[in-house]
Amino acid sequence: MSTQDFLLLYGTVLVTMLVCRCVPMFVLKGRDLSPKVKEAIGLIPAAAFAALVANDLFQPSVLATDVVAGMIPFVAAIPVIVVAKKTDSLIWSALVGMAAYAVLMFFCR
Amino acid sequence: MLGYIVIGLPCGLMENSIGLPPWACFVISCTFYSGAGQFMIPNMLLSAAPLYSVIASVSFVNTRQILYSAAFAPYFSGASRLLSFLFSATVTDESFGVNMERFSSDSRWTGVNALLVNVFSMLTWASANAVGCALGAILDLPLAITSFAMTSIFICLLVMQKLCKQTAVVIVVACLGVALCKVVGLGGPAILLGAVAGVLAGLVVGSGGGDEA
Repeated sequence: MSTQDFLLLYGTVLVTMLVCRCVPMFVLKGRDLSPKVKEAIGLIPAAAFAALVANDLFQPSVLATDVVAGMIPFVAAIPVIVVAKKTDSLIWSALVGMAAYAVLMFFCR
Repeated sequence: MLGYIVIGLPCGLMENSIGLPPWACFVISCTFYSGAGQFMIPNMLLSAAPLYSVIASVSFVNTRQILYSAAFAPYFSGASRLLSFLFSATVTDESFGVNMERFSSDSRWTGVNALLVNVFSMLTWASANAVGCALGAILDLPLAITSFAMTSIFICLLVMQKLCKQTAVVIVVACLGVALCKVVGLGGPAILLGAVAGVLAGLVVGSGGGDEA
């Protein structure tokens, strides 16, 4: 890839990222939001994190070719949920998740 | 921040594989600042994906930032334009969770506090990327394992949400929405579509009778 192409790629994704990050903040700031909008915004964290987790765990292309490999993220998520419930710690959750994933990969492949 | 180091190192390694120098990794990490996006770009370029496809896919995945920005708007109603811009331009999945939890549980938490969380997280991420890039081929970390650190952080942030009937519906519908999108080949916008479906389902169910579980 040429430098020019990479700069086009970088510039475009940077602009779309800044628009997505900043525009809603300025459009909605200072406005008296309706109760329904407030309720919707309150639901965003749960919806966003659930979507991100599902996106990472569910790999249909892997499941279609190797069920065991496709199940590894789901099984590795179990100890992470337990640790997250008990500690509320992002670091411990990350470390336990990586350890669980590594152990499962070692035994299942 | 340990999570950023753990994920930032392999991300820097991947960026090195497409020919980026460490200083460029640092600059990109401080400006674009997207773990998912920075993993996607080298992955797609290495698999010879066309330029327009890389741009569209990365932009689609990052549209979830709209939801984060909207969620913070009420907390910055009295803040200056500069603070609002600097904060919103540096929000990520992880710092969103940390700051949202702080804003909702601690009335003394300010926009400046939240910005500092973002900036320190960003500098940690950028430094880890630059170091990973500099180490280049010397480090041979299994990406599947290290990238699960990011997944684990998302799981923890999800577990920290207050669970009631309404949020349970939101979570289930969001997960099913993502799964459905990926099955029908809409992997790019799956996160945004799934999350929006979850929010809409939650509004339909309503908060009435939402007993805490």
